[in-house]
Amino acid sequence: MRKLVQCDRGPQPAVVAVLTTIVVAVATFSACQTPPSPPSDLIAKGKDIFFNETFNGNGRTCGTCHRAEANFSINPAFIATLPPNDPLFVAEFNPDLKKNFENPRLMRQFALILENLDGFDDLEKQFVMRGVPHVLSLRTSVNSPQGPRTGWSGDGAPGDGSLRSFATGAVIQHFTKTLNRIAGEDFRLPTDEELAALEAFQLSLGRQQDLTLPLPLKGIVPKRGQEIFLDNSLGKCNLCHSNAGATANFGRGNIGNANFNTGVENLPDQPADLTGERVPPDDGFGKPGDGTFNTPPLVEAADTGPFFHNNAIETIEGAVAFYDGDSFNNSPAGSDLAATDPNGVGIELDGTQIVAIAAFLRVINALENIRQSIELLEGSAQKRFTERQQAKELLKRAITETGDSIRVLKGGGLHPQAVAHLKKAKELAEEAACSVFSRRRLTEQAIEEQKNARNELVESSSSRS
Amino acid sequence: MLKVLMQIGVIVAWLGGITYAHSQQMTEMFIPVGQSPGVSNKTSLVGMIESIDAKNRTVTVAAPSGARTVDLTSRTKIWLDRSLLKATNQTGTFADLQKGRKVEVKLEPGEGKQVAEWVKVQLTEPSAGPGAAAK
Repeated sequence: MRKLVQCDRGPQPAVVAVLTTIVVAVATFSACQTPPSPPSDLIAKGKDIFFNETFNGNGRTCGTCHRAEANFSINPAFIATLPPNDPLFVAEFNPDLKKNFENPRLMRQFALILENLDGFDDLEKQFVMRGVPHVLSLRTSVNSPQGPRTGWSGDGAPGDGSLRSFATGAVIQHFTKTLNRIAGEDFRLPTDEELAALEAFQLSLGRQQDLTLPLPLKGIVPKRGQEIFLDNSLGKCNLCHSNAGATANFGRGNIGNANFNTGVENLPDQPADLTGERVPPDDGFGKPGDGTFNTPPLVEAADTGPFFHNNAIETIEGAVAFYDGDSFNNSPAGSDLAATDPNGVGIELDGTQIVAIAAFLRVINALENIRQSIELLEGSAQKRFTERQQAKELLKRAITETGDSIRVLKGGGLHPQAVAHLKKAKELAEEAACSVFSRRRLTEQAIEEQKNARNELVESSSSRS
Repeated sequence: MLKVLMQIGVIVAWLGGITYAHSQQMTEMFIPVGQSPGVSNKTSLVGMIESIDAKNRTVTVAAPSGARTVDLTSRTKIWLDRSLLKATNQTGTFADLQKGRKVEVKLEPGEGKQVAEWVKVQLTEPSAGPGAAAK
């Protein structure tokens, strides 16, 4: 369970009196400041809707499945920390949703959510079980020349199929009070203004642009992993995950986000199947489906597992190894790749190479977490005394991100010195969150430790301050 | 030269597998007439059914911009919007397209012939149901 920021003691009464005077004085001054610009307002409104608006439904919000503290996704370990009355488990305590709304066993064990992507005519048999994709770096991943691609199969939104319209479909599928799904009775549909705000908030999350590879990495194994990743005759990863993002580039320019049939559905011994629960095949895009699924970005991958649309693989190493297996190499995508290879090979990697690519993915994930942590810490340090609660909120998010960095690097046995700096940064941020007078100083020290960690991962000339 | 040919081969092979993005029709059926995000009041046609030609499978809709005749194909989805009756929306048939009923038509993209991707028929009477006109 992630450690939350908890301050053991509150300030002394005398301190409170002095602080109150200062707060009132500063608040009076603050009231005269210029209000935030409209885009920030829209993002803030979207954030509020995302985490708090139930749309008169069953109690769920967008944030029920896309948890900020779990990288805007959920996984079994996180689910295990939730109380039994969490709206995620609505099928366990709402009699109207007991059947054919979710499969609680698959939800708790594998973080799988039920979706009726092929229709609502036969709820007993017609559904798919999918993981919750994170909503980070959507600005880099949703668009394609063929139109927007949302959700695991790229066709997740009703209406015009855009990210803006996505929430409407999500409300109908996941927020309903009963399986009747009557608008105005079982839920209310989001308004145009709410959809605009939700879109603005989601687009503000995570990276706003793709990396430019190669990065001047320091570790021998991640560095080799990057070389294999970029080698179009060996790893071939960069063809569909250009710059470790979610867009394809086959050598003639970037073609945006795309769908492929990579054979994930054909994996043997998928965890959900092993339970004996009904898990119908997922035919992906369209109805009937063409077997293709959307390409997710890889920068955020290492800390957002389990992997693939059906959460079939738990580790990043396993996810990379998938592309060396029969399921991928016999798939339409694997066959196409082999057809264009001089030796007729799709992707063939050995154990050390698989681990090297995964190490590279772990490092770029940690670098992104560090970037976000520094941004959050800097935001917190800039907050005035009267904005202490907001500062604490930013610190909490930075602490979570830093915890992810530590977990991702430690999990691959990578960069122990960077891990040490990150642990120190986390401790400092935790202290800052509890400190009345030293918040800024401690936060600035935490930023320095983040930078030290980053300098362990990449050559400092490429490090952004 | 070989490299160029291989690159072209990769592009052709992979583009063959690329599918065009489209909206998700499954949850669309639960959205009442006139409320489809990014579609209603923008690209769809909302109005009353003026006439029906069952033989040619066309329907003429009197919309604020004027009467328009659209083709329905075997791919066209027909849904019954029963939200005003506080009832679940259902899949409908061509027989549910009746003169005087309010409809929303989403047209398939492209120039020329107006082909409906989906049609929502608003029902306001409890007796009306799937294929009621045929009964």
